[in-house]
Amino acid sequence: MDDTTLQVYSVVFVAITVVLVYTARYFQARRWRQRQLDGMKRIPQWITQSIESSRPLHLSFGNAGVGGDNTPVALAEAEFFHQVVRRAESCDMSPVVSLSAPTSLPLGQDVLRRAWLKGGALSRAQWYPPDLAYASAISALMADDEPAAHIMAGSFGAELALMLDSAARRGQPSLAVSDRLDGQAVAFAQADHVLIGEELFAAPGSSSQDGGGHGDAAVLDVWRALIISGATILLMLEFSKRLPLLSWPLVAIGVAILLLLGIFTVWRR
Amino acid sequence: MSEEFNWLDYAEPDEEAPAPSARPGLRRFLPRRPTLPSLPGRPRLPSLPSIPSLPRLPRLRRRAQPALDKPSAADLLSVHEERPLDELDDRLQSLRERAVASSQPEAEARQALYDVDELLAAPEILRKPGGVISAAALSKAQRQQVELLKDIVGAPQAGDASVSRIRLSPPLFSLSAIPRIIGTAVLLLMASLPFVSSDFAEGELPPSEFHEDRHGPTTLYNLLDNLTPADYVLVAFEYGPTAAGELDAIAELFLRHIVAQRAVPLIVSSNPIAIAHAQNIISRVNRSVAFSGESLRHGRDYFILRYLPGGPLGLRELSENFADVARVSYKGTLTGLQFDSLDDVTYVVMIAERAEDMRNWAEQVAPQLDRTPLLAASGYAAAPLAQVYADSMDEIVGLVVGYRDAYTYAEMLEANFAELLRDASELGSGSAEASPAKIDEQPRNEAAQAERPLATAVPPASAIPPPAVAPLPTTTPRPPNTETPTETALPTATATQQMISVVEVTSPRQVRIRRGPTTADDILQLAQAGDMFQIIATNGDGSWYNIALSNGLDGWIAGILVEEKALSMAEFLGGGGEASARLSDERVYLRREWSLSLGKNRPRYYQSNAPITGDIPEYVLMRDRSAEVPRLRAMTLGTLTTVVTIALGNVIFALSALRRRQRNGERK
Amino acid sequence: MGRAGLAGIVAFAVGLTTVLSLLLGNNPALFGDQPGSEELARRLALPGDVLLRLLVIVIALSIVIGIVNLLYIHIGRLTRGKFYSAVLLASFAFTIFWLTVNRGDTSLLEAVQVPIESALAALLFLSLALGGARVMQKRADIWGLLFVAVVLSVLLGSLPLAELAPVRAFSAWLLAVPVSAGARAILLGIALGTIVVGVRAVLGLDRSYRG
Repeated sequence: MDDTTLQVYSVVFVAITVVLVYTARYFQARRWRQRQLDGMKRIPQWITQSIESSRPLHLSFGNAGVGGDNTPVALAEAEFFHQVVRRAESCDMSPVVSLSAPTSLPLGQDVLRRAWLKGGALSRAQWYPPDLAYASAISALMADDEPAAHIMAGSFGAELALMLDSAARRGQPSLAVSDRLDGQAVAFAQADHVLIGEELFAAPGSSSQDGGGHGDAAVLDVWRALIISGATILLMLEFSKRLPLLSWPLVAIGVAILLLLGIFTVWRR
Repeated sequence: MSEEFNWLDYAEPDEEAPAPSARPGLRRFLPRRPTLPSLPGRPRLPSLPSIPSLPRLPRLRRRAQPALDKPSAADLLSVHEERPLDELDDRLQSLRERAVASSQPEAEARQALYDVDELLAAPEILRKPGGVISAAALSKAQRQQVELLKDIVGAPQAGDASVSRIRLSPPLFSLSAIPRIIGTAVLLLMASLPFVSSDFAEGELPPSEFHEDRHGPTTLYNLLDNLTPADYVLVAFEYGPTAAGELDAIAELFLRHIVAQRAVPLIVSSNPIAIAHAQNIISRVNRSVAFSGESLRHGRDYFILRYLPGGPLGLRELSENFADVARVSYKGTLTGLQFDSLDDVTYVVMIAERAEDMRNWAEQVAPQLDRTPLLAASGYAAAPLAQVYADSMDEIVGLVVGYRDAYTYAEMLEANFAELLRDASELGSGSAEASPAKIDEQPRNEAAQAERPLATAVPPASAIPPPAVAPLPTTTPRPPNTETPTETALPTATATQQMISVVEVTSPRQVRIRRGPTTADDILQLAQAGDMFQIIATNGDGSWYNIALSNGLDGWIAGILVEEKALSMAEFLGGGGEASARLSDERVYLRREWSLSLGKNRPRYYQSNAPITGDIPEYVLMRDRSAEVPRLRAMTLGTLTTVVTIALGNVIFALSALRRRQRNGERK
Repeated sequence: MGRAGLAGIVAFAVGLTTVLSLLLGNNPALFGDQPGSEELARRLALPGDVLLRLLVIVIALSIVIGIVNLLYIHIGRLTRGKFYSAVLLASFAFTIFWLTVNRGDTSLLEAVQVPIESALAALLFLSLALGGARVMQKRADIWGLLFVAVVLSVLLGSLPLAELAPVRAFSAWLLAVPVSAGARAILLGIALGTIVVGVRAVLGLDRSYRG
């Protein structure tokens, strides 16, 4: 595929996404059932604990920053944290937002500013140098501020292990997700709760009461379904070429079984 | 749409709708309240030491006992009318005000906050024996609040003996930490044993040559070994001090390999600390060079270019405006380097700590490279993803991974250069060739050195033709011809009319020259469209040509990518009669050296119009390698212990989970 | 129009300009073989390049904001008697002093930062090893089991022991096929999310534009 073809495909892909985003927003995506993200079950309870015990929540962007290739991660997490912070606004202690990309400092402060107009809250958006220095600073913060829970959603590498280990030792529960594979693996192994892959972007939608957020999550769901079915069909076609045993009727039966399974899953929900 | 959503005014229209599970037929598709999951069962409390319960419950708490429908402290305070408000602490007052404001009218508010049931549900801690205070982990702020609450409700003061027993902060040491401490101690012990005694020689050392199945690293080595003096190599240091332990070795080896052949590394990075660290590696190379006064100098033997801010955007700038980037050094001074584009450097070498760095280089830089290959090395963490890029992109060559490959690389390099040194001394001092060993004993020609670094990357008009068996140089910049030769010169460019068979590369893409006539053989060198090589032989069916290379070696090139031609030697050398005429008043010097770069001891020719002081084996051979073997052994033992720890730990936890489930099943 | 609307419009204009400039610029093939197509393609690339260069400058400057934030927070904490904040501020002052006196010196980096970060990396190894040993404590299900099995196979496969040659082949297959497929699936999901959020940002629908 040459560059021009690739560009044309990109434009078509983005255009379809734009149409989907507006369609979903127009219908407010109310009719679209939100996926339940298992990893987020405990968040309301953490908020309650934070309110009752006057211990802050710790929200972490990691290295997600505006301007780099993980800008959308930073924006999506800002929205997610916004949803969390609004629910925690009756808490005495402002949540702590930490980050290691200085460009997301305004995002962090924005998250706090919307819910916390009390003095001193803005200084609770904290920057530390990236990677291991960040991890060690957060471990120190865990000792000093004793957060009620940690929501680490953003861009993390293996250094996430140090933070999660520290949190576990102090009995502070954690939710973690990263757009980097090493961070994601560590999150799966060590966090109390984990989101995986594009759940990072679905989280704001599933925690928000805003139709727009739901719309974005719905667009993600549509694309996800399209890509999974497309990949499955291509795979079947490939197999049908390789193995003479697999003829068209067999492929059709396979697709039908998959479709039935899909319908059954939706129905179960 | 742009209006701020007012969540307090938000009310779901279908509050009366039946419970989700009861929805029949199409009503399932009607709007539904987006609910966060309901409060799960008892939370797993932190493994803090148990705190003895308070001797008496605070009065506030006891009063609240019957009112469990008002579970939060805010709710409790909102109905707690007995005490005059002005006696309350400011904090409690503000909490009470907020609680009152948000609970009027309560029913509406609960309706408005769609997930309020979860949000303000009775916290589990209330059910904990010992009451609200002991169940939570208490911070300093909380302890102050406990004191405050006790003050308000008239509980015993801190001096009270019964209260002083309460242990509010976790102890320094807890029994639950024992497995952890044992695990850590065992891991540390096993990893440090090989440094103490050589008895713990578990595992094989890495091979002294890359495995024959691994063409990537072999090709990478071969390409770097084919550098000629005054080639420019862009070396990207994409790792910080965190990965120094793992990647310093390979970075240092690359630099030594490059400078030992008189090529010039241009160091660049999108990580500011890596730039400072690169300087330290250069100092390390300098420290290990035996004789004084011959250390690498910035602006002459190497260049450190300015920092590239903005991650992938910085790399984009590097690939599109390389001329600008190369103009300024990390100190902000001008380098005097003039390049047109990134294709003017001979190779781009990238050392990545994270998979993202590999991705950024593969996506932002590699597609902009028409002729120059990108040679990649990475740490173990980045290797799985980096390998995918190395395998799938033609522009990326090889992947040298981690410390083990660095060891192999060092072995190959040292075998090569040690051989070079030995051969040179065997040739004897009476030899006409410039002996590297001899050169090493003399101070180098400073004047020649001073001339070299300012060479532009664009070949000068009087490009020097190669020796008899070489292709036409197309990319290699040459130093200006100003020196009077002092070493013995071999006049080679004698134009003849003898006809020879050559192949000209016709493929528009880069063509790989391999060690043997199959695509499975290692790559020795890359060629561009228009390059010509003299044919030595062909394989059986004529699909591959055996060709002579510029460095005295021979390689194989696929027949479909080239066109066979018959040229006179003069045409082949000079690109036409005119060039051969120009050659007549120039003298070309050929230096012969010996190398073992491909497992065989072969002469190796450098073409030059000025005497070059030769390879400097010190740059390679004076490395301190004393810690390498114990370190490799430690890696093996450490990994083995980790495997055992992980397996053991998980078996224990899996068994205990099974037992727990079994017990729960019995209870039910 | 309020501030929020203006921010949205600016975001939309800048976003669209950059995207179009990147897609259409420097690609004369899009405009056929007409004589002016190359010049047109070059000109179309210009706005995107300018905006991206501006962005690079902003990103480079933002580190200063980060450092100011770090100092501000730790000076605040110092007044509350936090020991580590005092250490941080003292180290900061010392490093500035040292580099002012010895310009261009990197020995502090070599003598302090590299050893400390290497030690942290070693600690990270311990954390990872002990965290790996506790996977089944948190996820005692089939996925946890699968995770541990893959981790153990890959670790065993990386050991240079002759007896483990079959495991090495298996772990190479694991890494090349299932692990690679899973990694691509995760990356694909992230790419999807990136596009949706990117579109939302370019269209000015993101919350950060709403003032």
